[in-house]
Amino acid sequence: MEYLMGMRCNDFVMLACDTTAVQQIITIKHDEDKLIPIDSHKLMGVAGEPGDRVQFSEFILANIRLYAARNNRELSTSATAHFTRGELATALRKRPYMANLLIAGFDKAGGPSLYWMDYLATMHKMNIAGTGYGSYFVLSMFDKLWRKDLNESEALDLMLKGIDEVKKRLVVAPPSYVIKIIDANGTRTIKTVTDPAVA
Amino acid sequence: MVGLGLDLSVLENPSKSAATDAQLDGLSVGVDLGMQSFPLPQVHDLDSFEREVMEYVKPSHGTTTLGFIFQGGVIMAVDSRASMGSYISSQTVKKVIEINPFLLGTMAGGAADCQFWLRNLGTQCRLYELNTGKRITVRAASKLLANTMYSYKGMGLSMGTMVAGWDATGPGLYYVDSDGQRTKGQVFSVGSGSLYAYGVLDQGYKWDLDVETAVELGRRAIYHATFRDAVSGGTVSVYHVTEKGWTKISGTDVGELHYEYYDNPEKHPCNGTQPI
Amino acid sequence: MSIFEYNGSAIIGMAGKECVAIGSDLRFGVQFQTLATDYQKIYRIHDKLYLGLAGLGTDAQTLAARFKFKHNMYKLREERDIRPSTFGQLVSSTLYEKRFGPYFCSPVVAGLDKDNVPYLCGMDTIGAIETAKDFMVAGTAPDSLYGMCESMFRPDLEPEELFEVLSQCLLAGTDRDALSGWGAIVHVITKDKTNSRTLKGRMD
Repeated sequence: MEYLMGMRCNDFVMLACDTTAVQQIITIKHDEDKLIPIDSHKLMGVAGEPGDRVQFSEFILANIRLYAARNNRELSTSATAHFTRGELATALRKRPYMANLLIAGFDKAGGPSLYWMDYLATMHKMNIAGTGYGSYFVLSMFDKLWRKDLNESEALDLMLKGIDEVKKRLVVAPPSYVIKIIDANGTRTIKTVTDPAVA
Repeated sequence: MVGLGLDLSVLENPSKSAATDAQLDGLSVGVDLGMQSFPLPQVHDLDSFEREVMEYVKPSHGTTTLGFIFQGGVIMAVDSRASMGSYISSQTVKKVIEINPFLLGTMAGGAADCQFWLRNLGTQCRLYELNTGKRITVRAASKLLANTMYSYKGMGLSMGTMVAGWDATGPGLYYVDSDGQRTKGQVFSVGSGSLYAYGVLDQGYKWDLDVETAVELGRRAIYHATFRDAVSGGTVSVYHVTEKGWTKISGTDVGELHYEYYDNPEKHPCNGTQPI
Repeated sequence: MSIFEYNGSAIIGMAGKECVAIGSDLRFGVQFQTLATDYQKIYRIHDKLYLGLAGLGTDAQTLAARFKFKHNMYKLREERDIRPSTFGQLVSSTLYEKRFGPYFCSPVVAGLDKDNVPYLCGMDTIGAIETAKDFMVAGTAPDSLYGMCESMFRPDLEPEELFEVLSQCLLAGTDRDALSGWGAIVHVITKDKTNSRTLKGRMD
């Protein structure tokens, strides 16, 4: 079962996602990166049906890069999120993409931000957000331990705690995860969690 | 098995049908209370009839309950909301059932099923005491309940309960449900909000907790579950079981508890992304 | 579970003496999971006109964006703000456009019309207007909200009293609904200004 969580603090946003590609009851891959970089300071985490996931994220990615190339300026995180929502909402009444997403970014003007969006294209800006069964266990934990002023290593500890909890309680917990951060310096991977059995 | 002090019913095949006359033998009431008879409705298709009936008899579906054993005994904490769909039918349900001064049961699932069968368990435990002159163990009490549940398996009972208490062997905590599952454990949470409660509970639980911290952990876990789970809420009640029996530690309104934990709305992650 | 109950909402509009108020809860959830408690369901169209959108979140957001666009276009054409009653008709016809595949939203329009006469109306998902002189409710707890409003409402309330009555109705009404609540926001529109206040409520 797919796991996707995000957390926004004062100076950065952090995303965690499992790295499994699933085909029916088989895990066909253990290093699938579902945290897709949109540009140097934006990530889009996508969870959903494999086909829809890739098609939709590539479509959004291409259009946002096209905009940046044409206008010689990049969209803000808010604009990216609203554009994505519009496309998802239009598709909803034609052929819906079964994809839930988190859009995270760092803007020079507005700082870090995190947007939650479901496949119906309902969008909201949040401090902590997640999708799937994993979020049930982890959201309450983050409610208790999240602070605006967490630093990078404290936030990473909290993310890892969340992954541990999912592994402990969720029957269908994935074996491998990646954690990425976006701050003023851009996006980077800060941790991968891999079960020795799949390494 | 006519009126002997010994309970040999465990040697028999657990009955699938509760309504057999053989088990209504008045003399064996002490051991067979769990097998009392309920008339079955005279319908052709019992299964679909029961399914339909369940639509009318399932209040208290939203619930968060938890229990854990630690160095200082057992903590049990519950919310108090009953709902029918999205309508909140009560905010003051008593979800910890006091079986006797040393035994507690919690309530999740069908309210009537839980109330009736935990009361029934109380009767069975009292009769056991009168028959043997000894207090029943948590292990035996939970087994009596599990046997009863198993004998009604497939008939639509809905119950997820934790039986906790203190006996000669020390603290005890068992999970029993209407599928007939019964298991001993250190940390359990049951109900629609249980996933949220686990998130907080696992993160704070240690065997060495002192009593005050343990009580607070139980309360906090239920509180966070009531925040995230729409059908859990009302008040948080916390019970503590020791060798002297159980005591009710607190009953706190969640309406007040939230503002105790988060005096400034900015502190909560679900707030303050869109300044108003 | 009905699609109208997917996200959860509660909205009340109430008319007073030369003033009108509209309030909503702040929960955003997906079925029984609460995800945020700062989610606004009332959108400002202009200084004297607010629109509340209850129902499915995605459609409410789509509609809010469309009405913002439509009002901008109206202003460019007419060089003035739209009248609340005209806006009510605009909402209605916009909803009816999707007669055979509706937006799953029920709107509440609250505003001050010419001479500061309160205008209040509500609609079903395909735009059947229902105007009211007293109050209008929408969302997942209409029964409890109507009950509260019926017993608390009095005509010709002053702005401060109107705020008090609407707030009590909203908080008490949502306390019996699992899908709405978690705090509230109330806008009181008067001829000089709009006063927006957030209310603390039960957070369970």
